[in-house]
Amino acid sequence: MSIEVRNLIKKFDERTVINDISFKVADGEVLAIVGFSGSGKSTVLKLICGLIPFDSGEILTSEGDIAMVFQYSALFDSLTVADNISFALRERKDLRKKYTKDEIKKIVSQKLELVGLKGIENKFPSELSGGMQKRVSFARAIVTKPNTILYDEPTAGLDPMSSTLIEDYIVSLKREINAASIVVTHQMSTITRTADRVIMLYDGKIVFQGTPTELLKQDNPYTKQFVTASLEGPMQMQN
Amino acid sequence: MATALQKYLKQSATYKVFSQFLVVFADFLDTLGKIAQMGVHVVKAILKREIDGKELLAQCDRFGVSSLPITLSIVGMTSIIVASQVAHEMVKQGGGNFVGMLMTILIVREVGAIMSGFAITSMIGSSLASELATMRVTEQVDAIDVLGVDSVSYLFVPRVLSGMIMMPFVVILASVVGVLLGAVTSDMFAGLTYRAYFDSAGLGLYMKDLGVCLLKAASFGATISLISCTCGFYASGGAKGVGLATTKAVVWSFIAIVVLDMVFAVLFFF
Repeated sequence: MSIEVRNLIKKFDERTVINDISFKVADGEVLAIVGFSGSGKSTVLKLICGLIPFDSGEILTSEGDIAMVFQYSALFDSLTVADNISFALRERKDLRKKYTKDEIKKIVSQKLELVGLKGIENKFPSELSGGMQKRVSFARAIVTKPNTILYDEPTAGLDPMSSTLIEDYIVSLKREINAASIVVTHQMSTITRTADRVIMLYDGKIVFQGTPTELLKQDNPYTKQFVTASLEGPMQMQN
Repeated sequence: MATALQKYLKQSATYKVFSQFLVVFADFLDTLGKIAQMGVHVVKAILKREIDGKELLAQCDRFGVSSLPITLSIVGMTSIIVASQVAHEMVKQGGGNFVGMLMTILIVREVGAIMSGFAITSMIGSSLASELATMRVTEQVDAIDVLGVDSVSYLFVPRVLSGMIMMPFVVILASVVGVLLGAVTSDMFAGLTYRAYFDSAGLGLYMKDLGVCLLKAASFGATISLISCTCGFYASGGAKGVGLATTKAVVWSFIAIVVLDMVFAVLFFF
């Protein structure tokens, strides 16, 4: 077990955005969380990594770091690419005395090579394209060798080729560091190319659990509506 | 009957004004609580020596050096305005020998710190608030937390400390410029000699005044930074949220400067 979520409930004021959901993700497994906008997908990620507190339930994780790749990369724009990637190594209490400057430099180079961006250490995020920023944020996320990686819409806003590249990185990272991964996404290509299992959220509840193949079968009215992107069905878009 | 009364009350102007007042008051208490909470967090972090030296130097440069031109200009111009109003009249009434004393007391005790505080708020406070607010709405603050770094210590400590360290230097420099420009203005507008001005300049000034001036400057610097960082840190809602946070930081800092100044006046000069 790397992540186990049990009976999780989260309310914002009086609105229940996550309503008693439970699931598990094993080491080396990629779970895709899908659903329409406002269904609570990103909230689940923020609850797991502790950015927001939950009202009841349990989140159990294996010992080790949790990393997150944010929807819009969230790179520190006043820092260079190298400083962004090495941020945790330089600033975290338990890591700041563990590595020398040369070791940090070497780690940054290795991570950049891993995401295919060698030689851009001294550039600032504003000098990079959206796809490159996303890849740098991958490098930053894996620098502490996390055993859990959370991806918040990693391919949103990217062109098809950049999306494919990002999807390949998710799969290769899964193989390289055997981390448990959760990918929040709307995109079918990201689901079919990266996920081992899929859960679908609607109105804060899980309405489907299965493999990407089962999702595509459309046996369930929710999956049918999602896959066909139909306005007719049990899920109503919130105004 | 009760429902009709409730409906009538809800439509009345008094109800609307009162409910609006309650909303503003609740927001006031909420902001005050957040500032206090962040202040405690910063003090704890400083006591634990969680200070990034490199970042502290960068913030000191931003707070002290880059703000100097505007601060010196504002304090200098205020001195010119005051001296031009006062010197001529005092010389005419036979009190020319005390213009230097009056200007020095005024600048060292009040004008130097207050006007520097306003200038620093406009320039540095607003920039701190918008910087942190932008980091908040673009999830950079979340990223710091997820990477295992305490975002409050990382962002607040160097900024608040730099304000506390650099503000006294800024106020000293601004006060010197203010006193000197007071002399030049008195000479130009009232024909008061530099010697007459500087002979009386030190008459009403004691070490206590300088000490209070420095203490006041340090507290202004720390307060401006703390308020600005807190307003930025709790921003939400995109570009509009950044704007609101910046406005809030400036308004709260201005009010805090005046309130603190009043507290210092009561504590030390009453």
